[in-house]
Amino acid sequence: MCMRCEISRRSLLAGGGALAASMATGIAQARTRPADMVPLIGPGFKPTDEDEKGLWQLMDRAEEEISGSNLLIKDPELVSYLQDIIGRVGGPAAKDMRIYLAHIPDFNAMMFPSGFSVIFTGLLLRMRNEAQLAGVIAHESGHFLRRHMIRSWRDTRRKSDLFAIGAMAAGMGGAAGGVYLGDYVQLAQLGTILSLFAYSRAMEAEADAMGARLIAEAGYPPMEMATVWEQLIGEEEASARYRRKRRRRGTLFDTHPSPTSRMADLRLSAAEVTVAGRAYDNGRARYLSKLAPIRQMLLEDQVKLNDPGGSQYLLNTLAQDGWNGMLRYYEGEVWRLRNRAGDDARAAQSYAVAVAYPDAPAEAWRWHGLSLIKEGRSGEGKAALGRYLQMKPGAPDAPFIRQMVG
Amino acid sequence: MRKLGLTLALTASVALSGCVQSRQYADVQFTPPQGDYRLLVMRPDVTVNSLTTGGMSEPRAEWTEQARGNIVQALRSEQAGRGGKVLVMARRNELPNVSAEEIADLERLHYAVGNSIALHKYSGAALPSKRGKGLDYTLGEGAVSLGRRTGYDYALFLYAQDNIASTGRTALQVLGVAGCFIGFCAPSGGSNQFAYASLVDLRTGEVVWFNVLQTGSQLPGVKFGDIRTPQGAAQMVDRLVGRMKPGRDVRQAQAKEKR
Repeated sequence: MCMRCEISRRSLLAGGGALAASMATGIAQARTRPADMVPLIGPGFKPTDEDEKGLWQLMDRAEEEISGSNLLIKDPELVSYLQDIIGRVGGPAAKDMRIYLAHIPDFNAMMFPSGFSVIFTGLLLRMRNEAQLAGVIAHESGHFLRRHMIRSWRDTRRKSDLFAIGAMAAGMGGAAGGVYLGDYVQLAQLGTILSLFAYSRAMEAEADAMGARLIAEAGYPPMEMATVWEQLIGEEEASARYRRKRRRRGTLFDTHPSPTSRMADLRLSAAEVTVAGRAYDNGRARYLSKLAPIRQMLLEDQVKLNDPGGSQYLLNTLAQDGWNGMLRYYEGEVWRLRNRAGDDARAAQSYAVAVAYPDAPAEAWRWHGLSLIKEGRSGEGKAALGRYLQMKPGAPDAPFIRQMVG
Repeated sequence: MRKLGLTLALTASVALSGCVQSRQYADVQFTPPQGDYRLLVMRPDVTVNSLTTGGMSEPRAEWTEQARGNIVQALRSEQAGRGGKVLVMARRNELPNVSAEEIADLERLHYAVGNSIALHKYSGAALPSKRGKGLDYTLGEGAVSLGRRTGYDYALFLYAQDNIASTGRTALQVLGVAGCFIGFCAPSGGSNQFAYASLVDLRTGEVVWFNVLQTGSQLPGVKFGDIRTPQGAAQMVDRLVGRMKPGRDVRQAQAKEKR
């Protein structure tokens, strides 16, 4: 139930796969309407069915492990900020859900069956305002409110049961009649797998529709959810173009609808839930101030992913709300780390622009200084390095830089 | 010759009725704890699943609770027979002066070490550097420090899983075997168990003994001790930790004495 799961399903492709796939892709899925998305659970929900109780017990153990993981960012202010957002867009279960922030530089978030959610720091970097983040969190809440995990478990169980019985019946019937039905059994197995993914896609569409409704009710502009996907598509395309590959298209084996169709559906849903005359607030100022303490860490993680195309696109997207010293510095870092011919000059230029902003991080002054010295402008370079030392006297490389400045 | 006979007998029993398999490894210097010792049992990780018709394992909360209680009880009486004093932890924060995080860290470390043991001792990826050394793994200083502060001599880590065939699964098994008579033999797995136990010497930090137990059968209705019942749990505990053998050096020394 994560936003974007990447599981290798190549192993599932059997011989008849391509044929069956070409038959099924033509079927378009109708959009799930936000108005139809009614929460299926109330406040303080506890499971009563045997299978769901078992699932929850397993999840309690998982939560104990996850909540004690050293990958989590435990900054109380940040965590309570996220908890507040889930409290606002969590519908009837707002008070029951827990949220954990994992230090992983990837765009993902997930909801577990017992109502705790894990979001990755890479997601926080990509969100331009609180409404976008609330949209993703509302999507995850949607999974919980619509009881997707137990529904999909039951669906899987029912289909695997039917398949087992069908395979047995086909085998025995075939044996009695002297025919070999093995090929049909394989095809049926593929059909079972295909319908599992289809069910999962339908649930993601439900969560999107539910999410749009939840954030609109909480007073966030619902269109922001579609913007999230627009940004993601752009980033994936930029990253793929840089690596001279095409963006991965949606396939039959996707557990999630393709970002393109999600974006289109979300636009329609957003228009549906928007109330004319109501004032919506995207909470950008609050988002920026809450994220300020970790912003540099988020950018640092991203540029070190060695994905210049994606990083560059991301910086440009964030800069749509205005360039600043931090973004310019990391733009320079992308060039410097890519290190192709001419990249040092590009990086030097970015550092030079970065230090003109009041919010330039100390490291921008460091690299600005080093770039200047490399260009032969050692006087100016040393001055810049002096500024770096002034801002960060305890930096690990401070003694070395001090020696350079002389 | 005796070994070959045993293998043949085992193969035959597997084909006919399923099997109970356990294989233990010990440090070459290992002597099973006996007499006056203090054993700390880390929170036993027990799961009981229902095996659906299609072969999926569905966790069951009440069965799991029941089985955990039974396993703990069975462990207590088994250890009492050896003369040891036992504390079975129910929570991570139970020990004075030891934080829950420290216990969690030790459990995670053991999880990683246990996986290594499973890979290199049981899955066939044997390491040349560990050849002839019995069981040569350690949890390091953390375990020693825990022992020093709490006064325990050993820590036992235990994992047990029991998959119990549902009615539908059993019916499918019956059909699969019945099919043999009309030329469509499709036996499928029924109730099965998997468990392992690992004994760590808290004075040295070393994993001194490790055992893996597996049971399972393709014949419908065959069970190997349902751990939801006290008898079944006692049987599993006995198979898992009741028959600890000493390490190689100790065995050889004992053999010499006898001669």
